[in-house]
Amino acid sequence: MLRVVIRAAPTVMLAAAVLASANVSFARAPDAPPATPAELSATYGSIADVIIAAKKAEAGIVSGILESSYGHAQGRIAAAKAAMKGGNAAGATAAVESVASLVGQMATEGDSSVAAIRKRLLDNGHHHHAKEEQQGIYDEGYVVVTKVAKMALLASSKAFGAMAKAPTEAGLDAEWAKVQATYASLKKK
Amino acid sequence: MTLARAAALGLFLLLSHGCARPAPPPTFAPPGRGDSRFRFVDVAGSAGITRVVLSGRATMDHLLDSGGTGAAFLDYDRDGNLDLYVVNAWRLEGNQVKERGSNALYRNRGDGTFEDVTEKAGVAGEGRWGAGATVADYDGDGWPDILLTNFGPNVLYRNRGDGTFNDVAARAGIEAPGWNTGAAFLDADGDGDLDLYIASYIDTTIAEVLQATRSLPWHGLELVAAGPFGMKGAPDHYFRSEGGERFVEATEEAGLTDRALAYGFAVRAADFDGDGDPDIYVANDSDANYLYRNDGHGRFDEVGVWSGCALDAGGAAQASMGVAAADYDGDGIMDILTTNFSEDTCTLYRGLGGGLFDDVSLPAGIAAATFLPLSWGTAMADFDNDGDLDIVIANGHIYPQIDSHPEIVGTFAQRNLLLENDGGIFRDVTGSAGPGFQLVQSSRGLAVGDYDNDGDLDILITNLNERPDLLRNESSGGSWLTVTPEVEPGHGPLIGTEVTLIAGGRTFTGDVAAGDSYVSTHDPRVHFGLGKIESVETLDVRWPDGTHTIRHTVPARQFLVIRKGG
Repeated sequence: MLRVVIRAAPTVMLAAAVLASANVSFARAPDAPPATPAELSATYGSIADVIIAAKKAEAGIVSGILESSYGHAQGRIAAAKAAMKGGNAAGATAAVESVASLVGQMATEGDSSVAAIRKRLLDNGHHHHAKEEQQGIYDEGYVVVTKVAKMALLASSKAFGAMAKAPTEAGLDAEWAKVQATYASLKKK
Repeated sequence: MTLARAAALGLFLLLSHGCARPAPPPTFAPPGRGDSRFRFVDVAGSAGITRVVLSGRATMDHLLDSGGTGAAFLDYDRDGNLDLYVVNAWRLEGNQVKERGSNALYRNRGDGTFEDVTEKAGVAGEGRWGAGATVADYDGDGWPDILLTNFGPNVLYRNRGDGTFNDVAARAGIEAPGWNTGAAFLDADGDGDLDLYIASYIDTTIAEVLQATRSLPWHGLELVAAGPFGMKGAPDHYFRSEGGERFVEATEEAGLTDRALAYGFAVRAADFDGDGDPDIYVANDSDANYLYRNDGHGRFDEVGVWSGCALDAGGAAQASMGVAAADYDGDGIMDILTTNFSEDTCTLYRGLGGGLFDDVSLPAGIAAATFLPLSWGTAMADFDNDGDLDIVIANGHIYPQIDSHPEIVGTFAQRNLLLENDGGIFRDVTGSAGPGFQLVQSSRGLAVGDYDNDGDLDILITNLNERPDLLRNESSGGSWLTVTPEVEPGHGPLIGTEVTLIAGGRTFTGDVAAGDSYVSTHDPRVHFGLGKIESVETLDVRWPDGTHTIRHTVPARQFLVIRKGG
């Protein structure tokens, strides 16, 4: 996850630095042709770089969030199995509930703290997939997780929650295989 | 909900009901009994419930203008008759405050009429812009107190026991200035005193409210009040009681941090996972709802998404306004109903046990009846005493500008809804539920209680810029039993207690809650409709400390007091 974030971040920072250092002059000669001032074009170009880089960074960060949730969930699956083998029923239940929560976070591209960020972006008119939202492919503000993947992950999240009180290794494996398949389909995009 | 999704869902609902175009605005069947068992009559005017609830500007330029207020049933003087409390707001004109409304406490005279005792009791609301009323004996002295959640500092009216109250919110540490909305008292940590969860909506100021202009396009036809998108959400609060007199804010410590800064509206505390301690459900506007699961020691985990009650069946966060919690299908497991914005359905989450839920709105018949109206206060209760829980919903839009286009979703003023439970499927019986259900207003708060002690449940509803409705239940119904589980004589129902009946081969479950519906509080007594059952085989009271009191062969049609240890 960190690798993705770090890769994206310098691009944004670089573009921001370009903007900050731009010495934009709004003055032009009285007889100049009615062309867009070159400084403004250049600055706008820099802003475009920032916007494009930011969008890429956004996708990278959300991918990182998914990767983190997926990785942690995988770890909790292993922990649940270990607890089951050790006869630690309460530990197994807690671990499987963690898996349920983490898979739910994958469905919603992060927990409620991310929801607040997504809301802020939407408030300000930012839709990562504006066109695809209209087509019903993505929910509003979603970046990586398609509607289909979201429903699949929500179903798996709930299935893990339902099996948490009495998990079985076969049950965990079967449901985790679904999560793996969904996640793999998202990574291909 | 996105427009595309609303359109798709609307089309599905309409096609599934045999019509291919949006339904026309509601048409109203003539009032009367017809073949319906239900009959409700608004008696507020003749009963003396006359104070108008103020609601900002007529044009509703800011969401605060149209938020409305709540109401409560309570027996503040412990004379055995339910009294009424109605919250009020302010009246604005342009950017001027024209009038600060007074809340109202109506004492039940026991003869079907009420006396306005607001001034005498000292509970007018301190001039605040009110939102909700949550009633509980927070200090354990046996007298019900009133928490007023406000736009501004909250007010906590401590009942002195002599018919008067004094505001102790500052001393108790729960003023929490902001746009406070729904609240619930619960003994979260099992120490015997009542803790408090308060939801908050938007982080805004009165200056912003006064300067607000309508800027949000509605269906490309009108400019209406902006938000909540575009506005910063305000964090909810959790206050832990320190011995029943003072509270300390323990939101983060208890795991209840409102990380989404969700637009919170309604709160219900109940044992949603059946493990014996109270959990907290928060209905949020335009955000996923929260289900906070209690570990039994007052520490919570937010489990809404994987438990299946945060989002609708389509995986979408809805614009929730109100909440009801009860066991509508008689399986002994708590179910949850949320009321939502117009052009979206109310959502019925059926409890599966262990804190898991399924959205059954479509198969249960909730979706079609609730798609067009904008819904607020609600309750699942047995209004015809036939042995199953029906649903009542208060409706009313927030944009008066829609009145120019009634063909789209109806009008600002809307009819409330009564849905009859018919074997787990809900049928809209509003049109034949008597004149009380033919009123067309912009309703908000809703509380249910048996104010005339005749064994059936009446309904108190607040309306914008009108007096409240008091819908007296004149339905022909079956048998009933109303239970008051209390610790000390006269202290009233103990919050968090669950009552289970086994009768006629069926199980009936109810609980005592403080804070429900939309910023309102129901009659705390636990009411059961029993149909043809005249005797209950087993009555089991589970007290908050986990102990039980059990009675056998209990005759129906009585108000039964069960005393702990008695």
